[in-house]
Amino acid sequence: MATVSFRGATRYYAGNDKPSVDRLDLEVADGEFLVLVGPSGCGKSTTLRMLAGLEGVDEGEIWIGDKNVTDMEPRARDIAMVFQNYALYPHMTVHENIAFHLKIAKMPKDQRDERVREAAKLLDLEQYLERKPAKLSGGQRQRVAMGRAIVRQPQVFCMDEPLSNLDAKLRVQTRTQIASLQRRLGTTTIYVTHDQVEAMTMGDRVAVLRDGLLQQCDTPVGLFAKPRNVFVAGFIGSPAMNLIPARAEDTGVQLGGATIPLTPAQRAALTGPEVIVGIRPEGWDLVSHADGLTVTVEAVEELGSDQYLYGSSEVKLVAAGESVEEREAPHPVVIRTPGMSAHQRGQQLGVRPQPGAVHLFDKESGERLPD
Amino acid sequence: MTAETLTPAATDTPMRKAPRRPKPAPGVKRLSPLRVIGMTVVWLFTLFNIMVLYWLIAAAFKTPLEIFRNPLSLPNQLFVSGRPFRNFIYAWDTAEFGTAFLNTVILVAVCSVVIVLISAPAAYALSRLGVRGAGPLTGFIAIGMGIPFQTVIIPLFIVLAKIKLTNNLFGLGVLYVALSLPFTVFLLTGFFRSLPDELEEASAIDGASPTRTFWSIMLPLARGGLITALILNAIGLWNETLLAIVFLQENANFTLSRALFTFYNAAAYQSEYGGLLAGVAIIVLPMLVLYILLARRIITGLTLGAGK
Repeated sequence: MATVSFRGATRYYAGNDKPSVDRLDLEVADGEFLVLVGPSGCGKSTTLRMLAGLEGVDEGEIWIGDKNVTDMEPRARDIAMVFQNYALYPHMTVHENIAFHLKIAKMPKDQRDERVREAAKLLDLEQYLERKPAKLSGGQRQRVAMGRAIVRQPQVFCMDEPLSNLDAKLRVQTRTQIASLQRRLGTTTIYVTHDQVEAMTMGDRVAVLRDGLLQQCDTPVGLFAKPRNVFVAGFIGSPAMNLIPARAEDTGVQLGGATIPLTPAQRAALTGPEVIVGIRPEGWDLVSHADGLTVTVEAVEELGSDQYLYGSSEVKLVAAGESVEEREAPHPVVIRTPGMSAHQRGQQLGVRPQPGAVHLFDKESGERLPD
Repeated sequence: MTAETLTPAATDTPMRKAPRRPKPAPGVKRLSPLRVIGMTVVWLFTLFNIMVLYWLIAAAFKTPLEIFRNPLSLPNQLFVSGRPFRNFIYAWDTAEFGTAFLNTVILVAVCSVVIVLISAPAAYALSRLGVRGAGPLTGFIAIGMGIPFQTVIIPLFIVLAKIKLTNNLFGLGVLYVALSLPFTVFLLTGFFRSLPDELEEASAIDGASPTRTFWSIMLPLARGGLITALILNAIGLWNETLLAIVFLQENANFTLSRALFTFYNAAAYQSEYGGLLAGVAIIVLPMLVLYILLARRIITGLTLGAGK
């Protein structure tokens, strides 16, 4: 067990002047399950590979516990990794795969077999120990990869999108299993995924990365309730938060017929005349046209328990003469309504943000305005 | 009327039978001019090769008279006289194929193994270890494939003569190994490159040293490629004639192809064409059998690494 700390860790790739991971500072507590999430190319895998020692660290340091591992070989770091495609040794049986590290570490055979058996029991792999990976299903292979990691009892688990090769149903199931396994073992875990649902459901804390920069690191609830900037607001939550650009008037922000007041602190923090109003699909109230924003429903997504209305608003929210995309209404709007509601395509609705459901961001910097 | 005739057929459920061969995708089987030409050429080529093989094997069982009078008929006379293998016995005894066979088997086996033993680590280092200048180095080795060895025979002979390795099977073996390395290294770099990076990384995290990774992970995975390299080299060296002719002078050192060359001169002089062709068959058939047995492996091995 150990803490992990990235101290200004930076990684450049050859032929690219922009770092792939840029001065990352991140502290992971002992036993914590930290999820790194972000769109592809954001540097999350690179971060993990730096921790594992598969990538060099160009600037900064990485510490595991009280050891500076920046220049250590992977095998000296006492970490285990689960790869996206599992990277099982195809010519070895499940038993040999799981025992490979212990064998290299010259653990006596009876002890080794005992450890493998324990891991296999934990992962329900006992009857497959003599099989080769080619004869296993995707889910079983995934468990073997997990077994290979846990049998080592390492300081840190590194997991690089371990569920992305599973089908949807198995993924949900395995998600819970991994999370509960980690809680039981209490091993510090860094988990990389591009799937924000995975991030929100599994992690103690979630770190959102974009273009190599850490955007926000918080608990899932914290990220959802208080996204620090427009990117995090749009990335976390499904369907994504509505991000509507609008002008800050003297009275507040005018959203069709609805007015969102601005506090003096928010006004002071503004760097330009415009704000971005963030409202989650569930944050709308249906009102009369005059009291809110008029939205034309273009598609209805019925999920049974919920219904999502995908529509757009013709209302001009930004002054004319600004950049092309903002002048151009319609602006897309997503609204959640109770399942089986009688809404139809082409219908016009008035919507108003619920009090307390509004996130305000500065248009220029993309930063959240103080609450 | 139609309705009445149809009803009984509809009531007893018809047996559904899967077609003997699944229907191909539309358009695949269409006869285009190019396809017709291609098929014709392929078949002509195949037929020609089968004919040559048939002629060779048939002639090896014929008397010289039969070979020239009835080139395509089945052998007759030797079977009638009760000595069907007369030509083979003649060739084996006269050409001293016994020693030559042994020489060749040992030389080819040892050389093929040594070639692969040297090439595999080299190819691994060039393709996976990120050695500085690995790209240009691989290119440099590949150039070796482009140099016809015939053009360097004289310098090679002078060098080997100076270190007293001419007329010596070991000397010839050294040449064989050296001349086969470029192709084998090149073949195996492609092979190693096709193996996934993650396995190496997983092995590094599991605590294996690069040497250990090579021996316990990469080499077993490249087994297909290694076997392909081994077979291709074995076939090539088995058939190699020119170097053997130039570098071997003593009967005791002769390889099969070299012995056949001597035998050819003698047999042609004595019009022993049956015996001569039996000699050719003795050399060709083992490799043919080997190839037929391992054809699938060789072809998949050659194309592996070409696509992802």
